[in-house]
Amino acid sequence: MNTRVVVTRIVLYILLIFFVFVFLLPFWACIVTSLKTDADVFTTTPIELPPSPTMAPWMRALNALGRPLEISFAFTAFATIFSCLIGSINGYVFSKMKFRGSNILFLFFSIGIFIPYQCVLIPLVLTMARLGLYNNVVALILTHTVYGIPICTLLFRNFYKEVPNSLVMAAKTEGAGTWRIYRSIILPLSVSMFVVAAVLQFTSIWNDFLFGLVLLSGSNLPASVVLANLKGTTTVSWNTLMAGSVWFALPVVIVYLVLGRYLIRGYMAGAVKG
Amino acid sequence: MIIKNLTKKYGEVQAVKDLNLNIEDKEFVVLLGPSGCGKTTALLCIAGLLIPDKGEIRFDDKVVTNPERGVYLRPQERGVAMVFQDYALYPHMTVFKNIAFPLEVRGISKSEIEKKVKKTAELLGISQLLGRKPKQLSGGQRQRVALGRAIVREPKIFLMDEPLANLDAKLRVFMRVELKKLHQRLGTTTVYVTHDQVEAMSLGDNVAVLKDGVLQQVSTPAELYETPKNTFVAGFIGSPPMNMLEGNLVEKDGQLMIDLGGNTFELPPQMRESVKQAEGSSVTLGFRPEHTTLAGKRKENAIEAKVEMIEAIGREAHVHLTVGNYPVVAVTSPAEDLTVGKIAWIVLEKEKIHVFDGKSGKILA
Amino acid sequence: MIAVLILFPSIALVGYFVYVSIGWNVIVSLSAWLELRPDYRIVGLSNYGYIFRMSEFWISLQNNLLLILLFVPSSLLLGLLLAILLDNKVRGEGVFRTVYLLPFSLSFVITATLWSWMYNPGPPAGVINTLFGQIGLGFLKTMWIDNPSLALYCVIIALVWQFSGYTMLIFLAGIRSIPESQVMAAEVDGARGFRLYRRIILPQLTSSVLATFVILMVFALKAFDLIYILTGGGPAGTATYVLSLLMFQQTFALDHYAYGAAIATVMFVMVMIIVLPYLYLSSRRKEE
Repeated sequence: MNTRVVVTRIVLYILLIFFVFVFLLPFWACIVTSLKTDADVFTTTPIELPPSPTMAPWMRALNALGRPLEISFAFTAFATIFSCLIGSINGYVFSKMKFRGSNILFLFFSIGIFIPYQCVLIPLVLTMARLGLYNNVVALILTHTVYGIPICTLLFRNFYKEVPNSLVMAAKTEGAGTWRIYRSIILPLSVSMFVVAAVLQFTSIWNDFLFGLVLLSGSNLPASVVLANLKGTTTVSWNTLMAGSVWFALPVVIVYLVLGRYLIRGYMAGAVKG
Repeated sequence: MIIKNLTKKYGEVQAVKDLNLNIEDKEFVVLLGPSGCGKTTALLCIAGLLIPDKGEIRFDDKVVTNPERGVYLRPQERGVAMVFQDYALYPHMTVFKNIAFPLEVRGISKSEIEKKVKKTAELLGISQLLGRKPKQLSGGQRQRVALGRAIVREPKIFLMDEPLANLDAKLRVFMRVELKKLHQRLGTTTVYVTHDQVEAMSLGDNVAVLKDGVLQQVSTPAELYETPKNTFVAGFIGSPPMNMLEGNLVEKDGQLMIDLGGNTFELPPQMRESVKQAEGSSVTLGFRPEHTTLAGKRKENAIEAKVEMIEAIGREAHVHLTVGNYPVVAVTSPAEDLTVGKIAWIVLEKEKIHVFDGKSGKILA
Repeated sequence: MIAVLILFPSIALVGYFVYVSIGWNVIVSLSAWLELRPDYRIVGLSNYGYIFRMSEFWISLQNNLLLILLFVPSSLLLGLLLAILLDNKVRGEGVFRTVYLLPFSLSFVITATLWSWMYNPGPPAGVINTLFGQIGLGFLKTMWIDNPSLALYCVIIALVWQFSGYTMLIFLAGIRSIPESQVMAAEVDGARGFRLYRRIILPQLTSSVLATFVILMVFALKAFDLIYILTGGGPAGTATYVLSLLMFQQTFALDHYAYGAAIATVMFVMVMIIVLPYLYLSSRRKEE
């Protein structure tokens, strides 16, 4: 009995480690390449360690991505904050207030989560042009906030449903109005959910490509588009591209490693990208 | 079934310590004890769902578990069937399929399965539920389906882990009777785990009382009630529980007495020999609430107490008194003339008192 | 009523940017706007007729369907496999889970850059070709994403790499939500290992599998970022074309706004065909 168990365990770990290798391979190749000199990129295999490691590609990438990264940070931060706040208030209304049409309105928001953005893309560009916001970062803030409202509303509404109604009723009997209840009771209870929503929104907005591609151009491009352009050239500077990828991925990876379990909560609640 | 020196550690806690138990064929044995006393752990070891650290378990002459000799039979090879506290029904299967599952796993033919399942369902009175899914059933019905799944295999041994715990009080009483009838009918050896001593007393041919993983006593319910081996068993069995008063042994005029602080109680002479075996002089006097009479006037060898509260529950009255600082409960007929705050005297039935060693808690007489 | 008041700004914004925009898009799809300057003359459904006659349209549709047929089941299966492996009291389970889920948190841009390096036919030789050479499978070296017949499968592999951590997460949560007593009961009944999973555990996961299936299917219809960056739709012009790419090309490269809008509307309808019945069914089931 014992040997069979041991063999099974060994096979199990072999499989698990094999998949770790498969999943991490692209990252390994990326980091290793990002530290190589231009010559070494050609003379060594992509998985070998750099014979003479250099930070030059990283500097080059930072040159190209410096301002785009700032731009990405800017609109991501604002859009995240706005959509989370609005989502929280909406979620509170949907979960703790009874009103006619509540279900239909909720459905109204929920469908917004599923739509392919292609089917609103043309009107979006036209709208931004008409608002004079074409090639303006504010356009991205507005876009991401609006398209983030449905999912944040969903997350918070489901979360607040778990908060006992008796809390709200107790506050009402003590004379608290709607806004008071939200500020003093609901909001303090929602800290963990804010982290979930913020983390989800941050990663999905930071990672976005399509809106940046379509609504911005030239020196206002966000990091995602600029990085993609680094790849799009006919002769690719692989070490620079890899270094740029590290720069761009870094904030999300840090968030993932530190706040990963909040991200997971968000994924489990149905907030999936794409 | 023979269980020898069963020992199992769960993380930091020693769940079961050196359990020794012999179970006869067709016997209904109850493992009784408070939560965490190791009874469920022992049950899981018998089932083969847990492997003990040490010890041996034997069914008839076959060793099913002996970790030191490397013997271990998987649960389905042991011929045991188990009923869990939460019934563990498969929610995606109908009642019929739930009961049929163990037979299907064994590759029994479909027609055989149908016959057996229908027979079992009839036995338990759930034939009309065969097409339903567990979530459509009430607690009592689910419990019977769980029983059905265990019975249909005609196993050699039933293992039950607090199967009645999730039922409401009335249903519990009803199912207790049903279980007993079932056992009489099927005659299968059963090991039953519970923390409810009433259940244990009513169902068990023999009851094994456990505390912190150690077997305290294994006897028939009557023996447990009348001759508990230590203060734990004495206090666990019986409701309201046995009264325990601590005192010191003194000898006075050739008579053995217990000094209870404000009272002295004379022990019957036949106890003399055994009581003298005590390690020190501290002893605990035990007597059941139902073995007392209360008197309004001082009586000989009665214990003086103050009436604190009276619970009149219909056919009897539970009188809560204090002897010095100790609480005592007496069960009397409701007609007794007692008033709260007054002094009463507790008269004990001589044949029904127990004296325990004050330090070890073991019975002396 | 104060509720509606509070919700009003969101209703207005979402109403405009989602519903009004969809309607506006449909109008564009029915218009004659085929160059830079807008032209809202209504021409009925002729734009749809045009795109349905484009060979690129059918190639794109076929590729989207291939994505549904290959990417979705593969991600589910790999995720299931990983979940089953991890459901075994594995030491360091958290580390494994973190690694497998990492790609899912990243941008498609990153996936594209990483996998373009993986697939690079060379020079310099990309990771996969190099590895094959080193372990003696050199004959398997190929042009990968430069090979029109292989390119789509390369894309699918990259997507499975990205999404399997997510499906694993869902399966793992589902498996762990089954009370241990059921697993014990099954063991006592005689079901272990493969049979235990097949008869007891997997059947109880159907609702979460279905939800994930729908999410992945919708993604397969919408996928844009990865393909745009990794292959640009090529090689050979259209080997990895999908509807979203076609829409982008028509609209932003060729200024054929009307055709782009028509393609977008087709995409919208396809997604709704999948999502609406699912939403309806699952809300019905919740009522039960």
